[in-house]
Amino acid sequence: MEEQVGIAWHRLINRLAARRFPEAAVELASVSRDAALLFRALGGDHGVAVQAGAQTLHGARRSLLERLAGSARKVDLAWVDRQALQLPPLIDAFPATSLNRDLYFWLAALCAVDPQPHLPWLARNQAAVLTITRGYPGLAASYGRLVEAEIARRPPISKLAPDEAQQEQAIRAALRKPGSVAALPAARRPPHPVLLWLRPELPAKGKKPHPDKSPDQPSQAASALQSDKKRRLAEHTEMPERKGGLLIFRPESIFSWTEYAKVEHETKENEDQDLAQAADDLDVIAIAQDRRNIAKKLSMTLDLPVAEGDDTPLDGNRMLPEWDYRTHTLKADRCRVNTIPLTDAKPCALPEHLKRDQQRLRRQFGALLPVRLRLKAQPEGNDIDIDPYIRHLAHNAGAETRFYLDQRKRERDLACLLLADLSLSTEAWVGEERRVIDVIRDSLFLFSEALSVTRDRFALYGFSSQQRTDVRFHTLKTFNEPYDDTVRGRINSISPAYYTRMGAAIRHATEILGRQKARERLLLLLTDGKPNDADLYEGRYGIEDTRKALIAARQQGLRPFCVTVDQEAHEYLPHIFGKNNFIIIHKPSELPSRLPLLYAQLTR
Amino acid sequence: MSVTSIARAVRVPGLIPPYTPTGDEIAVFELAYRNRLPVLIKGPTGCGKTRFVEHMAARLGRALYTVSCHDDLSASDLVGRHLIDASGTYWTDGPLTQAVRHGGICYLDEVVEARKDTTVVLHALSDDRRILPIDRTGEILEAPPEFMLVVSYNPGYQHLLKGLKPSTRQRFVSLAFGFPEAAREAEIVATESGVDPATAKRLVTLANALRSTADHDLEEAPGTRLIVDAAKLIAGGCDPQVACRAAIVECLSDEPEITRALMVVVLAIFGN
Ligand SMILES: Nc1ncnc2c1ncn2[C@@H]1O[C@H](COP(=O)(O)OP(=O)(O)OP(=O)(O)O)[C@@H](O)[C@H]1O
Ligand SMILES: [Mg+2]
Repeated sequence: MEEQVGIAWHRLINRLAARRFPEAAVELASVSRDAALLFRALGGDHGVAVQAGAQTLHGARRSLLERLAGSARKVDLAWVDRQALQLPPLIDAFPATSLNRDLYFWLAALCAVDPQPHLPWLARNQAAVLTITRGYPGLAASYGRLVEAEIARRPPISKLAPDEAQQEQAIRAALRKPGSVAALPAARRPPHPVLLWLRPELPAKGKKPHPDKSPDQPSQAASALQSDKKRRLAEHTEMPERKGGLLIFRPESIFSWTEYAKVEHETKENEDQDLAQAADDLDVIAIAQDRRNIAKKLSMTLDLPVAEGDDTPLDGNRMLPEWDYRTHTLKADRCRVNTIPLTDAKPCALPEHLKRDQQRLRRQFGALLPVRLRLKAQPEGNDIDIDPYIRHLAHNAGAETRFYLDQRKRERDLACLLLADLSLSTEAWVGEERRVIDVIRDSLFLFSEALSVTRDRFALYGFSSQQRTDVRFHTLKTFNEPYDDTVRGRINSISPAYYTRMGAAIRHATEILGRQKARERLLLLLTDGKPNDADLYEGRYGIEDTRKALIAARQQGLRPFCVTVDQEAHEYLPHIFGKNNFIIIHKPSELPSRLPLLYAQLTR
Repeated sequence: MSVTSIARAVRVPGLIPPYTPTGDEIAVFELAYRNRLPVLIKGPTGCGKTRFVEHMAARLGRALYTVSCHDDLSASDLVGRHLIDASGTYWTDGPLTQAVRHGGICYLDEVVEARKDTTVVLHALSDDRRILPIDRTGEILEAPPEFMLVVSYNPGYQHLLKGLKPSTRQRFVSLAFGFPEAAREAEIVATESGVDPATAKRLVTLANALRSTADHDLEEAPGTRLIVDAAKLIAGGCDPQVACRAAIVECLSDEPEITRALMVVVLAIFGN
C-alpha cells in the first residue's frame, strides 16, 4: 500500500516536474505529413525527411521538484540538417492538444524559413519568428497563443537568481516582441529551453548535432546509440559518390566487397588511370568509415589491380557488346549475361503492409481500362456516319461507301519491361527501417498490382553485375507469365548483390522487349545510382556505355524511362536518358506509391 | 459537335480583355504578328495563356477563332466539311479556314491533345508558304497578312506518348509563360475578383507556398485561375478558409491526406 502511494507520488512529481500534459499529447506520427508539407510550402528543402529528433541536454537550472524526480534535464527541440527536419517525437508541453499540435507546425515553419542561420541563437530565432509572423498571418495568430502558453510554462522569474532572472526577462521580451532584444545577458547557467525556438548549436566544444563523428566518442545510452547508428548509416548512403566510383556501402558490405576484390584480381593489364580512380573511391570510403579497422582492411585492397582492361572476347550464349568512349568503338562480345531464373523462390501473397495501397491502385487503375472507341467511316456498323455520307452525296460518287459508325473496344496496346537495379548499393538505408532494396521490392509489388488491373503486358527483371563476365539478369516475371504468387515469391526474394553494369542490362532488356509486338514499348529502369562495376566500368566509361545502349533501344522503337532515388542524378541522367526521360524521387520511401502513378501518367 | 460551337469569334471593338503582362510577351507577339510568324505559348494551367491571346486579338483588332483540341479532333473539324439542307449539300468552313479567309487569329488550345495527323494540316500554314490546301473542295487558300496561327500547350506533364513533333514546334515563335511575380499576381487577383489588396496579397502568398510543394506533393501547381476563383468567393462574402478549401485545396488533390496537409498551409495564412 505504501509502495503504491510512493509510486503515485513519484509519478505526480514527475509530471509536475516535467510540466507535461500527457492527456493533451500530440505524437509526431500524427502530424508529420502535414508538418512536412508546410515545411516545403514555406520554402524548406524538398530533400529532407521528417524525423523524430534526439533530445538535447539543456543544462539550465531545474526546479527542486525536477531534481527530486530526476527528470526534465533533457528536452526535445527542433532543428533541420542536410538529411532531416528533426522534430520532437511527442509534444505534451502545453495543456491543450491544439497548442501542442500548433507547436509542431510552428517548429516546421521555423525550420523552413530560418533566414539567418549563422546569427547567434537569440538573434537567429527572433529573425525567423519575424519572418514568419510578417509573412503568414495565420501562423502569427497561433504564435501569439503559443507565446503566452510558453511563458506560463517557464520558471517564474521570482524564483531565479538575479543573473538568471535577467536572462529570463530578455528571453520573454524576445518572445513577446521578436527583434527587440539584441543580446542575451550573461548568466552562470544557460537559459531555460525555449520550445518555440530552434535548437541552439550547443556551445560546448563546438559539438555538432551528430556527436558520433569523432572516433572515440564515449558511448551514450544504448537506445540513443542505436538510433545514432541508424542515422549514421543513412548518412553514408547519402554521401555523394565523388568520382563516379563505388557507391557507399554499409560496413558489413565492405567486408564482402573486400573479399570479392581479392578473388577478382587475376587480370594483369591495368590501366593506370582506372586504378587511380579506384584508389580515389576507396579513399572516400576509408575516410567515411574512419573507424575500427575497416580502413585498414580496405588499404590492403588498394594494392590490388582492380581495374581490368583486357579486351579478350568472351564466348557464351548471351554475349553483348560494350561501348568504349575512348576509342569510339563498340566492342563485340564483351559482356556475358547470365540469366538467373529464381526458380526456388517460395510463392507468397502480397505483403500485408501493401494491402491498402493495392485497394487504392485497383480503384485508380480501373479508370485506365480499355474504353469504347467510335470508329468513323467504316464499311459497316451500327450507326450512320453523317460526314462521309454527305461527302458521298456531295460528290455524287458511288465509289465511297464507308459511311457507318462502329464501336470497338480500344485496347491499350502497350508492353512494359521494368528493369530493377539490384546492386549492393540498394542495401543502403533510406530511413529508420527500410533499405533501398525494400523500397524497390515494394515498388515492384505495387507496380505489378496496378498493371494487372490495366491488363497492359509487362515483365519484371532485376540485374546486378560482377565485372563483364558476369552480368546477372534475374527473371522475376516474363511477358508470358501471369502475375501470381509464384511471381510475388520471386519479387519477395530479391536481394542486393555486387555492381551495376547498366549498359549490358539495358541491351539485354532491349532484346527481350524488342521481341514484343506492341504499338508502344516502354523500358522502365528503376535505380539508385550511376552505372558502375568493379573494373573500368565507372565514371565516364559506364555513363557513355549506358547512353549508347539507350540510343540503340530507341532506334529499335522502344521508349526508355528512368526512375531513380539518387538525389544527385540530375548531374548525369540528363546526359544518359535525355532531359525529359527520367524522374528523381526525392523521398525514396515514396517510390512504391509513386511508381504506379508515374506509369499511369506516362502512358495515359 | 458543330463547327460553330467550338469556334468563337470575339469581335467587341473597344473592349479589350484585361491582361497584365509579366515580361516582353506583348511586344514579341506583336512583332510575330507583323512578321507573319506563328506563335506557340507554353505554360502551366491557369497562368493566363488564353487570356493573353484574347487580349492580343482584341488589341490587334482581329477576330479570334478558338479551338480546344482533344484526341477526337479531326482535320475536317479544323478545315471544314460538307453539310446538307433542303437544296442539297453545301460546304462549310471550319474555324481554321474561317480564320484564313477573314484574316483572323486562329488559336488552338492544348494542341498536343490533337492527333498527329490533325496537326499536319498546320504545316503548310505555319511556314513561309502560308497556304491552306482544302482537299475536299480542291481549293488552295493563301493566308492574308492579317492571319495568324497561335497554339498553346502545357509542357508540365511528363508524357512519353504525346508531344509535339520537332518539325511542328520549330515552326513557331515560342513564348514560355510562368506565374507572375507576387506583387503583379496580387494586382491581377484584385482586379479580376474585386477583393481587397490585402486579401489578394495573402492569397498570392498562399499560392506561392503551395507552388513550392508542387513537384513533391502535387501533380500540378495551382494557377492564377484558382486564386482568382477563391478571391471571387471571398469577395462575395465567403469565409476565406472555406473559399480556399473549395476553390483551391480540393481542386489540387483528391487524396484526403494531401488536402488535410494543404489546409494546414491555408491555416498558416488565413488562420485566426
Ligand atoms: N496576366 C494576367 N492578366 C490578367 N488575368 C490573368 C493573368 N493571368 C491569369 N489571369 C487570370 O487567370 C484566369 C485563367 O487564365 P487563362 O484561362 O488564360 O489560363 P490558361 O493559361 O489558358 O490555362 P489553361 O492552360 O488551363 O487553359 C483568367 O481568367 C484571369 O482571370
Ligand atoms: Mg486556356
